[in-house]
Amino acid sequence: MSLRRFVSMLTAGSAFVAVVLSLFPSTASAVPLYARQTGQKCVACHVGGVYPLLTSFGRMFKLTGYTMGDRPNLNELEVQKDAPPISIMLQGARQYYANTSNGLNGAAPGSAMDMQVLSLFAGGKITDNIGAFIQWTGQKYGDTQTGSQWTSASGIDNTEVRYADRILGPDSDLVYGVYVNNRSTMSDVWNTTENWSNVFVGFFNGGNAQAPVTFLDSAATQHGMVGVGAYAFKDNTWYGEMAVYKSVTHGPATFLLTAGTTGMPLIDPSPYVRLAYNKEMGPHSFELGIHGMVSYAHNGTADSGGISDWAGTVNTYRDVALDGQYQYVLEPHYFAVHGRFSHENASFAADQVGSAVSNPTNILNETYLDATYVYKAKYGAMLMYQGVTGSTDALLNPMGPAGSPDWKAWTPQIFWAPWQNVRIGYQYVFYTQMGGTTGGNLNFGGTTYSPHDFNTSMLYASFIY
Amino acid sequence: MTRISKILTLSALALAVGACANVDRSRNLGNPQVSGYTLAQQVCSTCHGGNGINANGTALNPTFPNLAGQQAIYLETELQEFHDHSRRDAAAQDMMWGLTRQLTPEQIKALAEFYAHQKPLPNPAQGDPVAVAAGQKLFIEGAPERSVPACATCHGARAEGNGPVPRLAGQHADYLYKQLMAFNDDVGRENHPEAQERPHAVVMEGIAHGLTDEQKRQVADYLQSLQ
Ligand code: HEC
Ligand code: HEC
Repeated sequence: MSLRRFVSMLTAGSAFVAVVLSLFPSTASAVPLYARQTGQKCVACHVGGVYPLLTSFGRMFKLTGYTMGDRPNLNELEVQKDAPPISIMLQGARQYYANTSNGLNGAAPGSAMDMQVLSLFAGGKITDNIGAFIQWTGQKYGDTQTGSQWTSASGIDNTEVRYADRILGPDSDLVYGVYVNNRSTMSDVWNTTENWSNVFVGFFNGGNAQAPVTFLDSAATQHGMVGVGAYAFKDNTWYGEMAVYKSVTHGPATFLLTAGTTGMPLIDPSPYVRLAYNKEMGPHSFELGIHGMVSYAHNGTADSGGISDWAGTVNTYRDVALDGQYQYVLEPHYFAVHGRFSHENASFAADQVGSAVSNPTNILNETYLDATYVYKAKYGAMLMYQGVTGSTDALLNPMGPAGSPDWKAWTPQIFWAPWQNVRIGYQYVFYTQMGGTTGGNLNFGGTTYSPHDFNTSMLYASFIY
Repeated sequence: MTRISKILTLSALALAVGACANVDRSRNLGNPQVSGYTLAQQVCSTCHGGNGINANGTALNPTFPNLAGQQAIYLETELQEFHDHSRRDAAAQDMMWGLTRQLTPEQIKALAEFYAHQKPLPNPAQGDPVAVAAGQKLFIEGAPERSVPACATCHGARAEGNGPVPRLAGQHADYLYKQLMAFNDDVGRENHPEAQERPHAVVMEGIAHGLTDEQKRQVADYLQSLQ
């Protein structure tokens, strides 16, 4: 969903780097090329047409490998007849920053109007059993700052290829498959996991306000590693999945990685596990699940060529998350709530303690909640909450007075979709706690701020075709 | 060297396996070789349930009409109308037009036969008893004061349908209500076929026009409660 969405806490060695790197989630993906493949409107797969929220049918479309529809198999394509399976997404916005005087927003003026994100999608059905989701994203404001300017960035975004099959009996239904992708949790079909929750609309806030995140939610797990996984979904009820992720530094699989991921850690083989219970009754659907990953990340010295070497010591992150969702889908009312509670145990290599982190082990808890209502697939409102609590660590969290990672932010939004391909919205991000403080004693480069100094609002329009 | 040739062989194999169609378990709506039965399983079941009425024992989302035990002729007509875009209420356009755009007459016939032979089941949703009673009266007697004939004369005493007249018993009230609205949607332009969402339902247009919104809800609630 996002290109380097959150600055990783792995770059903790340099608090300043963490300040400079930007929070810039790109909009997630409703992919009209899929709609062209099935001939349906967005509402068939997305709750009230709001991507990336998936309906029951959307979940099945994905789990059966994006193969449903009338696109011919690869070997039967006719160049004249079959439209190329490509989609485009553009997002522009006018943003308003609460704080413009501190210089931390780069050269941010009080407000700015921009074309921010351009994404290209390719994929869909390749054969009766194989399909793909391929995303490339360019963004005006990338992760790094040159002087007071944010450098633009582009590169591969979430990408996966699946092989899937579905076996139905009179009273049984088994969907199973395997995949290769470049982002843990992107394989998931509920909007509760790290890749599919969080901010649904990209915004740029000058890189100041990034919540500390678990490893599973961090930039390191986004297009910095390649995973191979297998899953099964039984009777639309029980879902199980297992995958292994690893960084690659050479060979064809590096095609799946963001180029020039300076500072991204190299990851040793790390297992990901997912279990979920899904229940659908009339217009209601419920999901309750658990997922987790144990990640082994090298403390490489980032080299200029991009990915660093494998020599560094290894930090271990044990992430477990409980997640749940409820949906009500019946024209004209669409409603969805999602929640996730993540718990992380991080153990740092001995050479990190005292330089990058203060403690040999840390705990981090993430809470994510959102609720969305859409009327007639046209008018909608959304409220999102993100909260973090965790171990006090002065080196890792230098922002607050006591090294606390505690953090709270609320993001209300209203939007209007005059046509299914266009969404116009207004969103406000309120920061109520940062670095464990709610008052005016946040420290950035010697100047003090309050969390609300970072509030950002945005009027945006996104177009997807 | 051996490693490279291994990789090459494996990828060639993978491509060969992948490229060949898997007609028995295909979700390809554009391949005439895929049987109606396979499509019913692999595609339609996702919304209409494996047996056209429920999925793993739970009721379908009322967005998706029950198809089990529906009249074969009616099913065939509707699929044809989705295919040629003459049935054009919003939900039909959103979900059914695309799925049927390449279906062959043989596939349509097989799909219609498949659902006609599935066993209808009682709808677990419960309507308001007062509305159900009022709906029953409408169904059996019509609303003579508004020139609305009794529904039972065409749809059958138990709303089981007959040939081109659809079965309504046990259907989701929400779906039935939306259809009754669709029949006379463009009020004031009743006699313009292009303005109608279900232009082939000529008889239903006048009937739906005669019913008040409340009566539409009542009769829908009653029909849902029938087995
Ligand atoms: C994405 C969900 C979805 C899938 C998959 C789907 N349908 Fe439908 N179907 C619908 C909806 C929604 C309606 C109601 C349309 C309306 O309200 O006009 C419908 C209506 C119908 C109707 C008309 C029923 C009536 O009482 O008038 C038939 C027949 C039908 N579908 C058959 C099929 C067949 C056959 C398939 C598989 C090729 C299929 N559907 C797949 C969503 C779906
Ligand atoms: C003169 C015969 C006749 C009478 C009387 C009649 N109907 Fe119908 N009805 C039909 C026919 C024919 C269709 C199929 C229309 C089509 O092919 O689109 C139909 C379709 C319907 C449908 C759509 C079902 C679906 O699955 O989409 C509903 C709902 C319905 N009728 C309700 C009623 C009600 C309620 C009454 C009484 C108030 C009634 N009908 C009286 C002939 C009749």
